[in-house]
Amino acid sequence: MSVVLKSVYKAFEEIDGKPKYVLNDIRLHIHDGEFVCILGKSGCGKSTLLNLLAGYLKTDAGRISVNGQEIDGPSAQRGVVFQQHALFPWYTVMENIEFGPKLAKRKDSKKIAQELVSLVGLNGYENKYPGSLSGGMAQRVGIARALANDPEVLLMDEPLGALDAMIRQNMRREIIKIWEKTNKTVIFITHSIPEAVYLADRVVLLKEGRVEEDVKIDISRPRDVKSPEFLEYVDFFEKGLSDQEGESLITE
Amino acid sequence: MAQEKLMILRKKNNISNPANTVSRKTAAAQRSKKNKWYKISSLIGFFAVWQFISYLNVSNNWFNPVFLPSPSMIIETGYTYIVRGTLVTHLTDSFVRMFSGFAIGVLVSVIIGMLITSWKWFDNMVMPVINLIGPIPVLAFLPMFLIWFGIGEGSKIALIAYATFIPMLGYVVEGIRNTDPYLIRSAISLGATKFQVFRKITFNSALPNIFVGMKASLAFTFSALVVAEMMGASTGLGFIIVDSKNWFKMSDMFMAATLIGLEYTIFHGILTLIENVILKWKREGVSSAVEE
Repeated sequence: MSVVLKSVYKAFEEIDGKPKYVLNDIRLHIHDGEFVCILGKSGCGKSTLLNLLAGYLKTDAGRISVNGQEIDGPSAQRGVVFQQHALFPWYTVMENIEFGPKLAKRKDSKKIAQELVSLVGLNGYENKYPGSLSGGMAQRVGIARALANDPEVLLMDEPLGALDAMIRQNMRREIIKIWEKTNKTVIFITHSIPEAVYLADRVVLLKEGRVEEDVKIDISRPRDVKSPEFLEYVDFFEKGLSDQEGESLITE
Repeated sequence: MAQEKLMILRKKNNISNPANTVSRKTAAAQRSKKNKWYKISSLIGFFAVWQFISYLNVSNNWFNPVFLPSPSMIIETGYTYIVRGTLVTHLTDSFVRMFSGFAIGVLVSVIIGMLITSWKWFDNMVMPVINLIGPIPVLAFLPMFLIWFGIGEGSKIALIAYATFIPMLGYVVEGIRNTDPYLIRSAISLGATKFQVFRKITFNSALPNIFVGMKASLAFTFSALVVAEMMGASTGLGFIIVDSKNWFKMSDMFMAATLIGLEYTIFHGILTLIENVILKWKREGVSSAVEE
């Protein structure tokens, strides 16, 4: 539900005895049911932030709490979707999605999985192994698998990064549809500005380990990527991301 | 104008649609069938050449045919064993020893491999010792095993298990260590406990490597079997070789050696079949770098 980060610091290396912070005093309050995109270039610390939220890494200083409870390692309450889908290759699509509910010993795991298969539009692929799926399909399974535990928060680490542009457009629409249906709190990491503006209620721009901007996207859904207000937001973040004046970015 | 051109192109496509193309799946099935025949005819060819050389030897008086009995003579010998009713005893005794030793060796290597990868201190304790005694040929250990476990089945099975365990361990450890950390992460985030991660993720991920290890270790299993049966046994294929040496029965020796080879081939084949069933998920997706 609501996710609170209080002055979070994280460093991996030291320079001259001083820690080199990848994340520097991150303060965020993410509300229940909010779709937040963490936007930044590679190396800005956005993946580290997600790993902290998932519980794979521990903060050097500061606290992260979900629903008032401080994070202590990974938990089934925070579902994770990885960039390289990370599906279990020895399980079929169905078994992959069922994995979480089965561990929780839920008797209706088959039913849950079947519903999610329909939600992500993979009917007919239940008994396929991940090796035979295309990138887009595999990522749908990844999303379904994370949703199967009915987590409070869905963490997505550039889930569309490995897909081609056409599929990506499609998947963005799907993700919004799924989010509207399930009403989860979503924290979505991306380096693509249009993607962030298209998806998010709120975009947090990370730059060199600090929160540079924290902006609400005030466009009604479904969003038109060619509308002037959309482009205005894109322009705004482009300026925020570029280091020098006049440097233009290739967005996407 | 452009549209017209498009239409013509389509027509051409229609005409050139080849009727005699074979789908990739059918072609692969045909190829594997052909491969099977090549393999079988290679074996038949081997025995045929052997038989032919023996025939030339007898007709040209090169050397005493007792030294190199022909395949037909070996089959004759095998037949006398069958008539006496001892062949089945020798074969099953050897098979039971080999199989129990192999199974124990594989099981122990998986357990030890799991412990080694779970605890660094266990790794530090065990690996130096294994690296020290591992390269010593099993033959050197046989007298000790005979004294420790007696001259019954115990010492033979223990020796075979040990011979299987040593080469297996490396494959198991490597398989476990090569598990994709993202798979472990996602399993934990889906609520898996440490043990569940091992059983459902690490073990499955190590399984292909474990099968490679089993096939590679099988040769060591069989050589340990023969060594164990050559000393202090009264049945088994290894025993036949030693016993017939004492009585200068060359064709008995060749029969036993051939049967060892045959038993190995069959067991190797069974392992491959099991592997194909258990690892059927591996065969989906990209099957070869470049299609043949």
